[in-house]
Amino acid sequence: MLSIQQDVYNIVQAKFLAAEIVKSIHLNVSVVDGPLENNNRILTLVEYNKSFALFVLVSSRVQPISFSDLSIESVIPLDQNFSFETEPVRGQNYVILIIRYKQNRYEFKIEIGKESCNFAAEIIHAKEVSLNSSTNFTWLEKYFGTMNQTNKNSNSSINDQNDFVIIRDGMAQGQASINRESMLKYQLKLREPEFTQKQEFTIFVGTWNVNGQPPTASLKSWLSCVETPPDLYAIGFQEIDLSKEAFIFNDTPREAEWQKSVMDGIHPNAKYRLVALSRLVGMQLAVIVNNQHYQYVKNVSMDTVGTGLLGKMGNKGGVAVRLELHNTSLCFVNCHLAAHVDEFERRNQDYKDINARMNFRRNPQAIKDHEQVYWLGDLNYRITDLTNLQVKTLLQRNEVTTLLRSDQLNQQRERGNVLLDYVEGDIAFHPTYKFDLNSDIYDTSEKARPPAWTDRILWRGKGIHQVHYKSHMELKISDHKPVSALFKSEISVVDQNRYRRVHEDLLKKMDKHENEFLPQVTVDQNEVVFNSVKFREPQSREIIIANTGVVPADFEFINKLNESTYCKDWLRIVPYCGSINPGEKCDVRLEVNLETDLDNIDDILILHLKGGKDMFITVSGSCQKSCFTQSLSTLVRIQVPIMHSKKEDFNSARNNQSPILYSVPRELWLLVDHLYRHGLKTRDLFESSALHEELIRIRDWLDYGSQDPLPGTPQAVAETLVLLLSYIKEPVIPFELQDVCIAAASNFQNCRQLLIQKLNDIHRTTFIYICMFLQELVKHSNDNGYEPKTLASLFGDILLRDQIRNAKPQASRGKANFVYNFLVNDLSSSLIPK
Amino acid sequence: MARDYDHLFKLLIIGDSGVGKSSLLLRFSDNTFTGSYITTIGVDFKIKTVNIDGQKVKLQIWDTAGQERFRTITSTYYRGTHGVVIVYDVTNGETFANVKRWLHEIDQNCDVVNRVLVGNKNDTPDRKVVLTEDAQRFADTMNIRLFETSAKDNINVEEMFMAITKLVLKSKLEMKELHNAQNDVVNLREKKKSGKKSKCC
Repeated sequence: MLSIQQDVYNIVQAKFLAAEIVKSIHLNVSVVDGPLENNNRILTLVEYNKSFALFVLVSSRVQPISFSDLSIESVIPLDQNFSFETEPVRGQNYVILIIRYKQNRYEFKIEIGKESCNFAAEIIHAKEVSLNSSTNFTWLEKYFGTMNQTNKNSNSSINDQNDFVIIRDGMAQGQASINRESMLKYQLKLREPEFTQKQEFTIFVGTWNVNGQPPTASLKSWLSCVETPPDLYAIGFQEIDLSKEAFIFNDTPREAEWQKSVMDGIHPNAKYRLVALSRLVGMQLAVIVNNQHYQYVKNVSMDTVGTGLLGKMGNKGGVAVRLELHNTSLCFVNCHLAAHVDEFERRNQDYKDINARMNFRRNPQAIKDHEQVYWLGDLNYRITDLTNLQVKTLLQRNEVTTLLRSDQLNQQRERGNVLLDYVEGDIAFHPTYKFDLNSDIYDTSEKARPPAWTDRILWRGKGIHQVHYKSHMELKISDHKPVSALFKSEISVVDQNRYRRVHEDLLKKMDKHENEFLPQVTVDQNEVVFNSVKFREPQSREIIIANTGVVPADFEFINKLNESTYCKDWLRIVPYCGSINPGEKCDVRLEVNLETDLDNIDDILILHLKGGKDMFITVSGSCQKSCFTQSLSTLVRIQVPIMHSKKEDFNSARNNQSPILYSVPRELWLLVDHLYRHGLKTRDLFESSALHEELIRIRDWLDYGSQDPLPGTPQAVAETLVLLLSYIKEPVIPFELQDVCIAAASNFQNCRQLLIQKLNDIHRTTFIYICMFLQELVKHSNDNGYEPKTLASLFGDILLRDQIRNAKPQASRGKANFVYNFLVNDLSSSLIPK
Repeated sequence: MARDYDHLFKLLIIGDSGVGKSSLLLRFSDNTFTGSYITTIGVDFKIKTVNIDGQKVKLQIWDTAGQERFRTITSTYYRGTHGVVIVYDVTNGETFANVKRWLHEIDQNCDVVNRVLVGNKNDTPDRKVVLTEDAQRFADTMNIRLFETSAKDNINVEEMFMAITKLVLKSKLEMKELHNAQNDVVNLREKKKSGKKSKCC
């Protein structure tokens, strides 16, 4: 690397993160159609974790001295959307480098030289690496934002589409059908004999090393040497252009010239169409098909592999075309392997490299996976162990067979080093290399290379019969002679009717298979009924989900549309999701706990199987009334225990239609009165938690009424009081008043005014009644240990209960402050309604 | 050649409880019939791939609970549906009378959807109470095709499902054409408007 370039290289590298390695740069690049003096672009190839991108940098100085002189103009990922080519400009020392990325096209002028050659080689290599590994371009995202404004638009399409970064989700295609397509392919292949028949096609394969010469002679004598027009042609050339430009930029006008010559030279008695033309530097391969078969050619794909300089340049290597003709996969490989007599091992290696690196980027990807392969080209194997003279003498005596024993290709194939499972027809023609130009005379130059069968055609696969294999001496413009081989190859042709039947049959089987593989479960009951659900007395039922299918079933109870939970708040499902293996079961417990005033419970649960069906489970039951979930205004209107009240009495009480009978609810009075008489001196009255049964007994005593005394300890009664105040339909201080109460908490008079003005009689009386009872407790604080502050904070959260239960209480301190006022001040007459 | 399918459609079978929705699906997908009656409590589906004029259409056919109490839940499954099969029982006049309600249900839950009307259990003439002429007249006024089927005797089932699939396929292709035509106009000004919105339901 030149020292100037090395300096710039270091500056450019500083522009990127350490892990983003600048692989190669190209200085003094200018934009085509830009202002005259704009050769301030630096093309930079950067690698991050095997993914490559090309950055176009603009330098604010002719020679950047710091990375801040550089700004990013464009970022181009080297993925499958990236391609580049070069366009020579006649008589100039520069070429136009054209880079395409999706619909974007960038054109740069670069000088021809070592720098451009290296840079081009690095890009070729980078693209190859990128395509062979799964690359991730997310690291480029940060650079899109830094691009300078002028060029953002041209790049915005990359940015907007974003699809080189984000892998699109596959279309929803039902369930479990991931492998359907490949399964179908596989099954169809297995049953291929049922819907295909073998049909013979003639395939004409030709190869010619043209030694950089332009096509000045007609190719008819070579390509039209057979009587009947072949069904398919595969014509390969080597060395169509030996120029430096062709080598460096893989671009040559000879491509079109030779292709035209081929189209002119093929059999005149049929119409043909080009299927594919693949070229790398001087190697070119055209596959041409008789028009009548064109519609049966499918899935055409091609690739090239360079094995030349640095093991990757295109002066040597191979170009290939693959396709399916009817139902048979064909692959044609045209190669030009390493030269020189002694380099046979290099040639073997080239062959291996071509096989390893040729990638059609579709299934099948590799050469070897094709049913029929035709391998042609200048394989460059020579005749060894014999002098030029010996060879020529043997040829004069026409002892071709003897000579072929010294052929390197035959020797290497025998040893299994190259083209191992390929077949070659008998060679009856003389060596096709090396001739003096425009003659049939073997090399008379100083080098005097001995003749050799460098140009060969081999094949691999079933049902291939070679009709001829010969050289064409009439074509003299090159130092090689062209070679041709005609094959009769069995191609399996699909009978559409039989194919449709097999296909439909397979689809049917796969549908059946797919349906069988849907998750299947049964539940032992779709209707779960609870009897007489009581306040805070949980009941549970179990349902059994059994996996009756053949795949594990992932189940989950899911929300109904427009609902935020998968069941009502009185229900708990344990577990609400899980996975059951085939043949196994899962018990699911449905637990009902009633804390609100409901006549009935009613819910429909959706049991969803991932990737499968949904089942509905209805949950229902009747509820028993309880004083705990009524409103204060209902309770003060009911004369008798709630379970004894007549339906119409209860309903009119609930609708506030019957007269108010008590100033505070009967049940509240019973509890408070009991505590007043038995609990004032009980230490930690509100602290201990009572037994569940005890609470239920007190609940029933209140709801049903009894002649017996109130059951339970003072603590249990105190807890019941707290429960009652916590669960009545509306808190003693209604929700909408709580904020103003908390705001007024610092001043007793304000609190008092609020109570008088805003609270209705029932709530106010109840509130004062509770507070007066709490004041009584405070009087005995020596015994029970309760200070007003403690009681205020305990009852603040109850009397000013939050709307959402079971959450952390809101504004507890404010509520306590509010209640505190009424525990330490005189609650004289004015508060109590007359 | 070996592609799994060209189109994927969701079909929905609705109708009163007991008219034979599940039986129709079972007949079409598995070519089986079972006389014993099991109420569908939920929604289930089956896969069936059919060939329409050389195009492989994969159907995901959803069978829904017919019971009234599940009506609000099942209506949520109309989403994304391409075609609806409304079934009544030719031996039960009430189920035919309720077809109107089911049609209304579709209107409530779907924007554009293809429909067919199916009178099932058309295998015992003595018990038939919904006359073909009446059903046909009704179908004509509602502009729906009528099929009288028997899942039990395998009459007209295949034809009916193929007909609804064809309708759906036809709509899709027409929609695509329309969409393309619209896109040409839109493209002149703005490229990004690619119609990602689903047109159905």
